[in-house]
Amino acid sequence: MTWLVWRQYRAQGAIAVALLAAFAAVILADGFQLASHWHSILTTCSGNSACLQQQVPLVNGVVSDLPDISLIVPTVLGILWGAPLVAHELESRTTDFAWAQSVTRTRWLAVKIGWLLLAAAACGGVIAALTTWWSGPINALSASAFVPGQFDTQGIVPIGYAVFAMALGIAAGTVARRTLPAIAVALGGFIALRLVISTFLRPHYMAAVTTYYKVTGSFTPPGQAWVLSQGAVSRNGVTVAQGWGDLYPALPASCQRLLPSAPTGKSGSENAVFSCMQAHGWRGFATYQPAGRYWPFQGIETGIYVLLAAALIGLTFVIIRRRDA
Amino acid sequence: MKPHSTAIETHELSKRYRRVSALTECTVTVPEGRISALVGPNGAGKTTLLRMLAGLTRPTGGTACVLDDVPRQDSAFLAEIGFLAQEIPLYRRFSAEDHIRIGAHMNPSWDASLVRTHLTQLRIPLDQRVGTLSGGQRAQVALALTLAKRPRLLLLDEPVAALDPLARRNFLATLTGAVVEAGGGLTVVLSSHLVTDLERVCNHLILLAGSRVQLCGDIDTLLAEHKVLAGESGRLVRIKGPVTDPADQTRTVTLEQLVVAYMGADEASADTHLTTIGEGS
Repeated sequence: MTWLVWRQYRAQGAIAVALLAAFAAVILADGFQLASHWHSILTTCSGNSACLQQQVPLVNGVVSDLPDISLIVPTVLGILWGAPLVAHELESRTTDFAWAQSVTRTRWLAVKIGWLLLAAAACGGVIAALTTWWSGPINALSASAFVPGQFDTQGIVPIGYAVFAMALGIAAGTVARRTLPAIAVALGGFIALRLVISTFLRPHYMAAVTTYYKVTGSFTPPGQAWVLSQGAVSRNGVTVAQGWGDLYPALPASCQRLLPSAPTGKSGSENAVFSCMQAHGWRGFATYQPAGRYWPFQGIETGIYVLLAAALIGLTFVIIRRRDA
Repeated sequence: MKPHSTAIETHELSKRYRRVSALTECTVTVPEGRISALVGPNGAGKTTLLRMLAGLTRPTGGTACVLDDVPRQDSAFLAEIGFLAQEIPLYRRFSAEDHIRIGAHMNPSWDASLVRTHLTQLRIPLDQRVGTLSGGQRAQVALALTLAKRPRLLLLDEPVAALDPLARRNFLATLTGAVVEAGGGLTVVLSSHLVTDLERVCNHLILLAGSRVQLCGDIDTLLAEHKVLAGESGRLVRIKGPVTDPADQTRTVTLEQLVVAYMGADEASADTHLTTIGEGS
């Protein structure tokens, strides 16, 4: 069986390895340059964080899109390879050849899926490792490790995405029985799910931490934490995000008059407004995911995608086993 | 090997797809070593029957016993069945040699040299993509690959339908050669519309019409049981015993006449529109 998989996919495999090698060449060449640039910055700034922040963004132009490319390649490969895995064989009737050999359908499917999922994981893993290494200096200057485009392209989550994309392609092809609709459905489904999970689910993998502080002071969570919301909260629980526009209607009239851009009354300083707020019982708050949760979040997100992939593969097996050929 | 053991025995085998019945209460027996012709109009259930016997399609009713086993997804069962589907499924981008190697990896016993020798004899290139071969050559490649499994039962679904007369003759010659070589250890069920071809190679008949079995048995016996009335309309009749009425002068019937007469049958058995003459014995 393995030989059949090898014979069927050796051409595509060679293309994938070539693409991977090209990506590695670009990212290694640029990565070493970026690293030396970073070291000279470190020497120049000698620990001055303001000086360091002036260097942001560290990369410009096409190179800054490298992480995005690293995200697209395993996804597209997964869907383009996964969708035809069953669908194309059904379309071209070669299942009638394969299933007429002394191999059960279940085994045929297991071997094919096994190797392709492994290939997807390897592809995603190699690209993620290269991207993580390349992003080192950018990560060092980043305020948060959870920024989209950074969290999604590094660590282990890209492996989860690649495996899931492959599984989605396979399942879509098995349900649709035709390659092109399966590719379209899988691509749309993948993008939609990624958006939903990263927007609505990811911030809540673990209960966020909320810290209250004097509204006259300031607070920054330690490390590259993920600040979900920050602002001020009144004694009655009215929360206002940072920004004067939102703040104005929520403030007591006595404080409103102190706002720098207040339409009526005399203009005051920001500090006067904050003091006034504090006098009325307002506190500052910051809700965030601590920096230390980076790896747990990576693990949870990868786990979600791997579990979804497992469910899709299970569905594929059920359909193929039940199907009359 | 027992001389009279049965290769295929089905009892009221049925297959329904939602509301359509593809095969209804099909009861047939094929003794081992026979070449059985499976005939019937399009949609009579020939493909469904073959696929159920091959363990690819599950019946919705009745039982099937194939080589003393229940057809199912089991590598030991599949190893004994050679199934060739109607569309001659091959990987068009792969060469015959690729297919030989795939087969070697997917079958416990695999006679690669048989395929190579046979295809070389037929001057079919082993290293060329099968998609570039002619229909007749592709069918020969597919048949040779099916035989390389060394199956005990060969199920062929209209393999010669798309072939020219010469390619058909070559294909059937390969088939009969394999049966002779197997010395009674190979049973074949071959579906086709080409009765003249079947007449040459087959010695057993299964006739389906209206998703039911109309005839099943040894061709010679079936032909002996039917006669064409000499006079008037030349009607086909079934002979139950010695014909005593001198008015009933009869001529022998050809397989084609027999098949056409029974093919017209609809839902019910053809018995109803076929007259039986002669004294019951």
